Amino acid sequence: MQIGRRPMLGFGLALLAGALLVALAAPLIAPFDPIFQDGTMRLQPPSLAHLFGTDNFGRDVLSRVIWGARIDLQIAVLGVVFPFLIGTAIGTLAGFFGGWVDAVLMRIIDVILAFPFLVLMLSIIAILGPGLKSFFIAMALVGWVSYARLIRAQILVLKTQDFAVAAESLGFSRMRIMFRHLLPNALAGSLVFVMSDAVLVLLGGAAISYIGLGVQPPVAEWGVMVAEGQAFVTTAWWITVFPGLAIVLLAFGFSLVGDALGDLLGVRE
Amino acid sequence: MHRYRFVLLRPLQFLPVLFGISIITFVLVRLIPGDPARILLGARATPSALARIRAQYGLDEPIWTQYFYFLKNLSAGEMGRSTVFKIDVLPLIASRIEPTLALVLTSVLLSLLIAVPFAAISARRQGRAADQAIRIVSTVGIGLPPFWLGLVLILVFSVTLGWLPVSGYGETLPEKLSHLVLPGLTVALSLSAVLTRSLRAGMIAGLASDVATAARARGMPEGVVFWRHVVPNALVPTVNLLAVNIGWLIGGTVVVESVFALPGMGQLLVRGIFSRDYMVVQGVAMTFAVATVLVNFLADIITVALDPRVKL
Amino acid sequence: MTAVLRIEDLEVRFRDGDESRLLIDRVSLELQRGEILGLVGESGSGKSLLCRAVMGLLPSRKLAITRGRVELDGETISGLPEAAMLGIRGRRIGMIFQNPTSHLDPVMRIGDQIAEGLRRHRGLGRAAAQAEAVDLLRQVGFTDPPRQARMYAHEFSGGMRQRAMIAIALACDPEILIADEPTTALDVTIQAQILRLLADLRRTRGLSIILITHDLGVVAQVCDRIAVMRNGSVVEQGEKRALLAHPQHPYAQALIASHPSLPQEDAVGEPLRPHEAPLVEIDDLEVSFPAGGGLFGRKRSTKALAGVSLRVGRGETVGIVGESGSGKSTLARALLGLQPVTAGHIAFDGAVLTLERARTLARLRREAAMVFQDPFNALNSRMTIGETLAEVLRVQGKVPAERIPTRIGELLDMVGLERDFAARRPRSMSGGQCQRAGIARALAVDPTLIVADECVAALDVTIQAQIVALFRRLVQDHGLTLIFIAHDLAIVRRLCERVVVMQHGRIVEDGASAEIFARPAHPYTAALIAAIPSIDPDRPLGGGEAGAISETGLQQEGLTT
Repeated sequence: MQIGRRPMLGFGLALLAGALLVALAAPLIAPFDPIFQDGTMRLQPPSLAHLFGTDNFGRDVLSRVIWGARIDLQIAVLGVVFPFLIGTAIGTLAGFFGGWVDAVLMRIIDVILAFPFLVLMLSIIAILGPGLKSFFIAMALVGWVSYARLIRAQILVLKTQDFAVAAESLGFSRMRIMFRHLLPNALAGSLVFVMSDAVLVLLGGAAISYIGLGVQPPVAEWGVMVAEGQAFVTTAWWITVFPGLAIVLLAFGFSLVGDALGDLLGVRE
Repeated sequence: MHRYRFVLLRPLQFLPVLFGISIITFVLVRLIPGDPARILLGARATPSALARIRAQYGLDEPIWTQYFYFLKNLSAGEMGRSTVFKIDVLPLIASRIEPTLALVLTSVLLSLLIAVPFAAISARRQGRAADQAIRIVSTVGIGLPPFWLGLVLILVFSVTLGWLPVSGYGETLPEKLSHLVLPGLTVALSLSAVLTRSLRAGMIAGLASDVATAARARGMPEGVVFWRHVVPNALVPTVNLLAVNIGWLIGGTVVVESVFALPGMGQLLVRGIFSRDYMVVQGVAMTFAVATVLVNFLADIITVALDPRVKL
Repeated sequence: MTAVLRIEDLEVRFRDGDESRLLIDRVSLELQRGEILGLVGESGSGKSLLCRAVMGLLPSRKLAITRGRVELDGETISGLPEAAMLGIRGRRIGMIFQNPTSHLDPVMRIGDQIAEGLRRHRGLGRAAAQAEAVDLLRQVGFTDPPRQARMYAHEFSGGMRQRAMIAIALACDPEILIADEPTTALDVTIQAQILRLLADLRRTRGLSIILITHDLGVVAQVCDRIAVMRNGSVVEQGEKRALLAHPQHPYAQALIASHPSLPQEDAVGEPLRPHEAPLVEIDDLEVSFPAGGGLFGRKRSTKALAGVSLRVGRGETVGIVGESGSGKSTLARALLGLQPVTAGHIAFDGAVLTLERARTLARLRREAAMVFQDPFNALNSRMTIGETLAEVLRVQGKVPAERIPTRIGELLDMVGLERDFAARRPRSMSGGQCQRAGIARALAVDPTLIVADECVAALDVTIQAQIVALFRRLVQDHGLTLIFIAHDLAIVRRLCERVVVMQHGRIVEDGASAEIFARPAHPYTAALIAAIPSIDPDRPLGGGEAGAISETGLQQEGLTT
């Protein structure tokens, strides 16, 4: 892959690597403690000392944005990894066995998909109680359906292609056909989907935190920070604007990498 | 008109899905730890009220009997009573449908108004500056968090420019419309980013398609080729994309209603969760799910109308 | 005769930054008034691109005419502004394409697509254009034009769609019709009808036609002059008979020699050998597919095979021919146990598949192999050819593990591929090379039976000839039994000692190749053979009298309403 010939891929990868670096090095590069409240420095506009200004508790917004990268990157990555693994396994199972296993799984998927994603997420979190752990559990319960459906659809299509029929005619076992021939080809499509899904999960996780059911204050998370800044949006715009921009940049990185992957793998959504 | 026969048959196929929806919503509330009667009625319930609800929902009986009671109550339009609003859930939800429906319609309308022209410009000038700009903007647009975008729009249009109201809904139609512009725009900006990308891809494929080549070969100018042959063919997958995204769109309205204090079902859901008003949560989740099923049905009808090849 | 279209020294280049490639290399051609000019060449020869250049419809902005010109009736049209070209396309030069299905707008009624040109170029009103469209549909052979004008493309069969394309192209009465492989996607009998329709239109309308095709037989049948293209240049052109009889350029000679319908060449010589116990026995086989219906509709099914019985002896080469939908591919898959059967029996070397499924399948998998139509799709694109072959060898276990690399080399030798192809993936190979790799994979099983399903249909003629020669050699050297499925009778005739003709899921004729091609007993076989465009211009297309399209032809083709 010549990144030089794909500037957007390069930029996307740089954004993701940057976010990862910031997250890992947060204790080193954050100028202030993200939850330290300095009563004398409330609602300071951006200055040299506080590049992104301070919030209503006198906390440094830049430091909070930097520490927030840890949480939000975790939301986007873990929130996709679990559903991806579960969904791929279930989709493969449905495609492999077909018949009533497939029929039952598909009906379950239909029902879960009938619920708007965020509505079902919020309802589950309402039961489990707010928090990041609840978010990941809810994600694993709800998010797998799209992967399962995607993988299953791909496998059903691939199954009818000549190379799969050829494999069967050559006496390959069903396991071999499934895991050596069908699944690797089916995964290409879902890898691209992983990237666009990471964007949706990031936005979903931040939105749930914004509503107050995800990450709990005083932990620095971008959605929480936007919520905290909302009351001061007319007087201290910086509290709200900077964490929001951080979300936009991270999401942009995932989208760019996903687009480039799609081009490279020849996958169209 | 046998192609439309499915309009009569399809509702029967909904039954298993509706059945599944009722199971999930039922299970959701039963999973909450604690005495179900207290969970349904709230902490300050009187002993007589607790006894009444135990009888009505068969709460002392096995779980599948409870589900049967639940279905029976549901079919009688009995969805329980809100502990916070002190009224039945059904009329409560009914009173909240209008703002949400208006918001969804406004969002879809606005996003089409944004997406179609931008996708057209982008596709017809593929690779040039305008296309590059639209591609980057739409890629950024997909990652805009609606709760943050809403605040930024308020900051710009309400606070700084003073053109539009900050939040709320209003009583008269013009009032309501003016209150819908910013929330609608918030959802539409994200949604139109998704639509623009899909439409653009469809239009580019359409412009390079055999259908377009054949139209050019019979002397049709580029504008006719595009609007008469490419666009109608690109709209079909877009309708499906809208239908697929309807769940996501409704999820977006939940957040946006919170930002703009719009008294719709999404706001009701969030309030219900915070005040542990589980009957309301259950009712709203169910209503949203049924609405999603109906929207997909509607999308099927539109698809059949747009594409003569489709048989359902 | 005067030239209605003159192409002079035309050069088309692809340019992208510093890269520049010559795609059309100084081509000069003339099309006389009322003449049919055949433009022949294999894929990538530039024949379609040349015609796009004439129309001013180069498929990419990176392509440009860099030299030469195109004259229509003495006026230069190359380099004309787009607005002027709009008045030429459709109005003065019409065009039809290979795949009518993808070129017709699926969401617009057929009548409206014809009327579109009439309203634009001739300024007709809505009603007048519709009336004219109905009339045009009648002229190209539609039976109920007023009703059919209101139908959509998908409601017609392939042949009728091509007729509709022709009606659209002729709507504004152009002087020239460019037909780009108009019959390649069609069955032979339908091809014969469309070719006859074109010849009729030329006569009645005084139309000049450029017919682009890869099939010299088509050219020999309907054209007046031939131009042979290769790698973007015209290597030879001339009057049809002269060129076919005495080709000068080596490529033209090779192309003619590759044509499967070489006149007078006898079918595979050897008489049917007496065979002992048959290797494959099929009795009264029936295969049905569910069609439509569903939860509330009536359950329906279509029979792909109905009462098929066939015996294939050890060492026999059997060709199974038939048009699309005849059930020949279903038969192939059923006999390899890849397709559930509804009724009847299949036996392989005495083992009955329908009775002892597991045991018979195990034998089939070790003794029979299949070669597929689409050479790219039949290989796993993520694996190298070496990995693909090694996997088969490992699973089959007939070759000890340490011998596998050597065996891969031998297999590649057998199919005529360089040994370094073991490290390549399908995407970096040509269609012919992939097909050779597919054959190597079949040979890796060390089979007694090979079933080849339309395995040359996607290849160019010269490559087809090579693959057929390869099969011939393999059958001789290894004593293979070959079941060769094809829609192209001419190829089967060159390869197989026995021919089985299928129609509508039944076997209508079965016998020695020489016998069947000389004296077909069933009328359908006769029609199929007569419809093969022979490379000999003096053996005209059969299948119904010239002129009007026979009513039976239309019924056969059927309207899929």
